[in-house]
Amino acid sequence: MISESPIDNQESRIELSAPDHRVRSDAPFVVGLCLLGSIYVLLIAGMLLANLSFTAPGNFLAALRSPEIRYAIRLSLLSCSITAVLSLWVAVPIGYLMSRFSFRGKALVDALLDIPIVLPPLVIGLSLLILFRTPVGQFIERFIPMTYAVPGIILAQWMVGCAFAVRTMRTTFDQINPRQEQVALTLGCSRSEAFWQIVLPQARRGLLAAGTLAWARALGEFGPILIFSGATRLRTEVMPTSVFLELSVGNIEAAVAVSLLMVIAAVVVLLLVRVFGRPTAW
Amino acid sequence: MRSIKLQVILGSAAVVAVLGFLLVWAPGANRPSGTGQPLVLYCAAGMNPPVAEIIRDYENQFGVTVAVQYGGSGTLLSNLRVAKTGDLYLAADASFIEIAREQGLIAETIPLATLRPVIAALRGNPRKIQSARDLLREDVRVALGSPDAASIGKQTQTAMTKVGLWENLRQAVQTRGVFKPTVNDIANDIKIGTVDAGVVWDAVARQYPELEIVAPLTDDPDFVMEVMVAVLRSSRQPTEALRFARYLSARDKGLVVFTRHHYTVVEGDVWAREPQILLFSGSVNRPAIESTLNAFEQREGCKLLRVYNGCGILVAQMKAGARPDVYFACDSSFVPPVQDLFLNPMDVSEMEILIAVPKGNPRGIGSLADLAKEGLKLGVANAEQSALGALTERMLEAAGLLRGIMANVRSQTPTGDLLVNQLRAGGLDAVIVYEANLAQVREHLDFVRIDLPGAKAIQPYAIARDSRCRHLAQRLLDAVTSAESQEKYRKAGFRWLYRRDL
Repeated sequence: MISESPIDNQESRIELSAPDHRVRSDAPFVVGLCLLGSIYVLLIAGMLLANLSFTAPGNFLAALRSPEIRYAIRLSLLSCSITAVLSLWVAVPIGYLMSRFSFRGKALVDALLDIPIVLPPLVIGLSLLILFRTPVGQFIERFIPMTYAVPGIILAQWMVGCAFAVRTMRTTFDQINPRQEQVALTLGCSRSEAFWQIVLPQARRGLLAAGTLAWARALGEFGPILIFSGATRLRTEVMPTSVFLELSVGNIEAAVAVSLLMVIAAVVVLLLVRVFGRPTAW
Repeated sequence: MRSIKLQVILGSAAVVAVLGFLLVWAPGANRPSGTGQPLVLYCAAGMNPPVAEIIRDYENQFGVTVAVQYGGSGTLLSNLRVAKTGDLYLAADASFIEIAREQGLIAETIPLATLRPVIAALRGNPRKIQSARDLLREDVRVALGSPDAASIGKQTQTAMTKVGLWENLRQAVQTRGVFKPTVNDIANDIKIGTVDAGVVWDAVARQYPELEIVAPLTDDPDFVMEVMVAVLRSSRQPTEALRFARYLSARDKGLVVFTRHHYTVVEGDVWAREPQILLFSGSVNRPAIESTLNAFEQREGCKLLRVYNGCGILVAQMKAGARPDVYFACDSSFVPPVQDLFLNPMDVSEMEILIAVPKGNPRGIGSLADLAKEGLKLGVANAEQSALGALTERMLEAAGLLRGIMANVRSQTPTGDLLVNQLRAGGLDAVIVYEANLAQVREHLDFVRIDLPGAKAIQPYAIARDSRCRHLAQRLLDAVTSAESQEKYRKAGFRWLYRRDL
């Protein structure tokens, strides 16, 4: 067992070398931080409050009563959750590979992985649409309908959400000290055993972060879905589509109501994930 | 370790499976209730309220599912171009349909409503805007459609350029206003109060209770835009698509709903699941149009009741009270007697009248006047029974040759074909017939052209003023004048006259 961490040693050394050091008040520093940070937080809160002023409880009830919007909420929440899990399935292997191995063309792969983040969402939708007009795409569509169908929504969300999950997982694995893993390897573990037993449990918080990020991105995703999946009511209408459809007929009150419902849904889910993600389940 | 691996893999797979199941098992989902594939309609998002209502009625009545893709008209256009699927396209205005037509994406179009550009402000008109000139005022912030992206923008630009205000207006908007990509964006900006005024379509302004139309953008009647629904070439069920399009555009069905949503609608057809057109046509047209009519019937899912006869007889029937929807005459001279029943006739084709002689022209006939020579045996069509006969008689009379030539006539028949047969049998020296009558026998006969303005029949197509299916009749004209049909006319010996842009 290691009893002392190197940091402890350092701290004691500082105190030893500067015995006269007077600790000044932290207040100005913290106030400064708060001031800067509050600009952003207040802006977010202000936006939400302004939204509230543009709608009334009646609009919420009307939105919740509308079968189209209820369908959109349900479709949004389910498709986002599927997207989040699917993103992790891919983000974990990619993140691990990119973090632990070096190979020719790694820089290129790294750049490719960022493309879904860089591209305008509309372009992703258009590219998917074109992709599924090619013979390969047509072949896939024979088994899973993609264009203008629900699986297409998940694909469109996944294309973007996954990129964020990959980034997060890569950073997570980078930050996990490979030493324990190497020790396990020298003690006779295979790579796979070391991964499942040593690395993945340590990456738990990263997994949670990557999953939530992918989920949140997917919830707000709109551009690619509009192009690739269309905006068919009661079929491919997700919550951002509802906002768009209400806006395009001038029903700003309903658009705002749906937006706020999205905010509520997101906050509830993110809080739940944080609460249930805390205990060390494995 | 096995357990962690299994837990993660199986656990996440189970989560996806459960979520996927919930997704598939969607009680509120829009499932195809009919037997066939759903119809796919690309619909401008701003048209959503009336269209959704009409679709609900249609689905309830006929059990056909209509799946709608909502979006901006331009976005949808790109979509349907790439996806190459879908059945119908309803654009916010005709300019997008025009582009789609140029790109060869569109088969038929049916008009629904008309739009006019107007200046709109918040109800009560707080800035007291009276005319387009007020949009230049320093204290007025204006939203316009971007001329490149929105057709309301393009219309505004053209209208304002015409009165010399565009450059100033553009600068005013650039400095203190905004250009927006769709007409609803402009209306939304006025509603929120981001701008004081904007130029939008009248129907859009009327859909916003918070907005007021303060003035028309221009009094020029040229600035009217049509809203149309188009049937796409990509449709694999054009008959179903056309049936829905007819429902959408029927004056007693879809257009009632559009009117309720403040659109100025066109005068649509009367709804019928299988509409009927009563077509009166001169017999001469039959070989050129028959197969086109059959194809039209099949595609539209309608019935064409055809009455082929000599035009004199058809005119007499109409005088006696017959009311066809379409009258396709053998010659334009048969329209004036019944003109008040019809809208402007369109000349479709023309047929030359000429002199046919035996191979080698043994009697040396070189002109119409030669036919009056003594001793010739001639054949002409009967003037009472056929348009060819009536036209021949009129032509001869105008040339002052009627008496001399009629003296040589040995045979009068109801049709030109019979005359050609008699000529080939050797009983006659010359006959006056349509060029089409020679189409099958060109190598056995010679002919002499008659260089007179009256030596031709022109076939006009006329739609009845009070037909219950004028738009359907117009689509029939479109089918008759298609490139494919032109080729059939050419083969049947006609010459083409119709110009689509006329």
